[in-house]
Amino acid sequence: MNLNLQPKHTVLPGFTPALGFTIFYLSLIVLIPLSAAFLKTSLLTWDAFWATVTAPRVMASYRLSFGAAFIGAAINAVFGLLVAWVLVRYKFPGKRIIDALVDLPFALPTAVAGIALTAVYAPNGWLGSILEPHGIKVAFTPLGVVVALTFIGLPFVVRTVQPVLEDLEAEAEEAAVSLGANRWQTFTKIIFPAIAPALLTGFSLAFARAIGEYGSVIFIAGNMPMISEITPLLIITKLEQYDYAGATAIAVVMLVISFVLLLIINGLQWWNAKRNGSIK
Amino acid sequence: MMSIHINNVRKNFGNFSALNDISLEIPPGELVALLGPSGCGKTTLLRIIAGLESPDSGSISFNGEDATQRHVKERQVGFVFQHYALFRHMTVFENVAFGLRVRPKATRPSDAEIDRRVHELLDLVQLDWLGDRFPPQLSGGQRQRIALARALAVEPKVLLLDEPFGALDAKVRKELRRWLRRLHDELHITSVFVTHDQEEALEVADRVVVMDKGKIEQIGTPGDVYDNPATPFVYQFLGNVNLFHSRVHAGFARIGELEVGVPGHADTQDTPALAYIRPHDIDIQRQGNKDTLKVKVSDIHAIGPIVRLELEQGDSSEIIEAELTRERFGELNLVRGEEVFIRPRKLRVFLQ
Repeated sequence: MNLNLQPKHTVLPGFTPALGFTIFYLSLIVLIPLSAAFLKTSLLTWDAFWATVTAPRVMASYRLSFGAAFIGAAINAVFGLLVAWVLVRYKFPGKRIIDALVDLPFALPTAVAGIALTAVYAPNGWLGSILEPHGIKVAFTPLGVVVALTFIGLPFVVRTVQPVLEDLEAEAEEAAVSLGANRWQTFTKIIFPAIAPALLTGFSLAFARAIGEYGSVIFIAGNMPMISEITPLLIITKLEQYDYAGATAIAVVMLVISFVLLLIINGLQWWNAKRNGSIK
Repeated sequence: MMSIHINNVRKNFGNFSALNDISLEIPPGELVALLGPSGCGKTTLLRIIAGLESPDSGSISFNGEDATQRHVKERQVGFVFQHYALFRHMTVFENVAFGLRVRPKATRPSDAEIDRRVHELLDLVQLDWLGDRFPPQLSGGQRQRIALARALAVEPKVLLLDEPFGALDAKVRKELRRWLRRLHDELHITSVFVTHDQEEALEVADRVVVMDKGKIEQIGTPGDVYDNPATPFVYQFLGNVNLFHSRVHAGFARIGELEVGVPGHADTQDTPALAYIRPHDIDIQRQGNKDTLKVKVSDIHAIGPIVRLELEQGDSSEIIEAELTRERFGELNLVRGEEVFIRPRKLRVFLQ
């Protein structure tokens, strides 16, 4: 019997050290700090834990955090795609400036974004004063949370879709047109399926970022219990009251939900790739 | 069956003139090759016929009807791309069915009819067993056949192929071009294909259009263009040649010490000319006379049925290529470095 335990030979060098480093690095940066949260939580009894994480105020904050993050990411998926499309497909003066603008939400300190958004959408702000008479309140409502989360998530969708759109084969579109497809059919049947995986990735990045967002939201949200309070804020509140175990308990729940959601999105991605035959 | 008329078409890309006043008539049911080096405008011409590109001036008509302004999707052309351009996210079956599925409801065949037609086409390209696969799982040759089936699904009046075998390896290429020829003989659909491979054009096409630098150099049957090239370019492009600078005087071309009779130039007086000799039109002899040129054998490539010799003329560094059969090579028993005499059997001169 020849039991071959050697890794399969490959021309790429350094598989073992590279994998070792990856695991070490991920542990140091991601896993160890996160497991500290779990450890801290374990100071609570199960009943206390359950009571903390299912308190009505906390439940309301989950709904807002995940709901607003989802809506924000969905809005970004639609309009981010549009921005990426315009940036890739058309030539116009000022294109480079618009291209650079897209990254601004990345670079801006989130608190600055929050203050700016609040100033604009407050009842006496530029946009707020226009919307107010129509009965639309943005600042200090859940709608404000959605606006803030949409703002910070935009670059993720644009920057993931853009390169894929650039690499799209012009020939496939020409083939579709020569076979009699109209513009709409060419987009829905040829272009969209090709960029869908990137769009989904952009969506999940924007979504993940929005769930954890704190700085830009707290200014515009108004932070009214049960209405416009996001989960990260509740965690901070608990920390300020020296309730470390309670804070980490909520953090752990957020962590688990986020992880499960991202896992589902990855699964969707894999399923899509398999269906398209790109994975054998 | 559709005829295609191309009238005075011009196309510029910036300062580059891709097509310079091209006029061409493609009779119904013919298989025509646009042959030329890369950058000669052949692909641009094909794309203009398809409507994927519009000419700066000039017109295209199908069966005498002006189609210059007609949109691609109304031209009823099947276009096959060099890199297949299959839809990666669709199965082979769906790729072929695409042209039928995107039709407006009124003219769209029923699902059962689409199913029948697609299987018929997959049978035609002999790949019915691949219907459930995705394009990335196929070989290059299979992909190109699927691309062809997809183009045929919409029952095009004209089939246009852009370097259809360009991305395939030599063996598959040979197989596929024979297969294309047979398919054309079955379907008799007016077809135009672009290629830079003279062998491919000469073997497959009914008619060859040789192009260079945005202009048509010659139009003719493969035999025509090979045996009676109209210009030095065509002569050089269709196979290997040896080029000699010569002077033509009173019916004779003079290359160095050698004089060769050239019919049709009896009245030409002492004019510089380019003389072309194909490698297989050179005879090798042991004995020299006034009809021969002394050369040295500098290299011998004896692979396959044809033996290729590289010969050096004493005074010039230019290499003369000669081809002879294995039998003749055996008779002569040549070795590298020895001196022999060559006699051109056939020579073509173009006055300068």
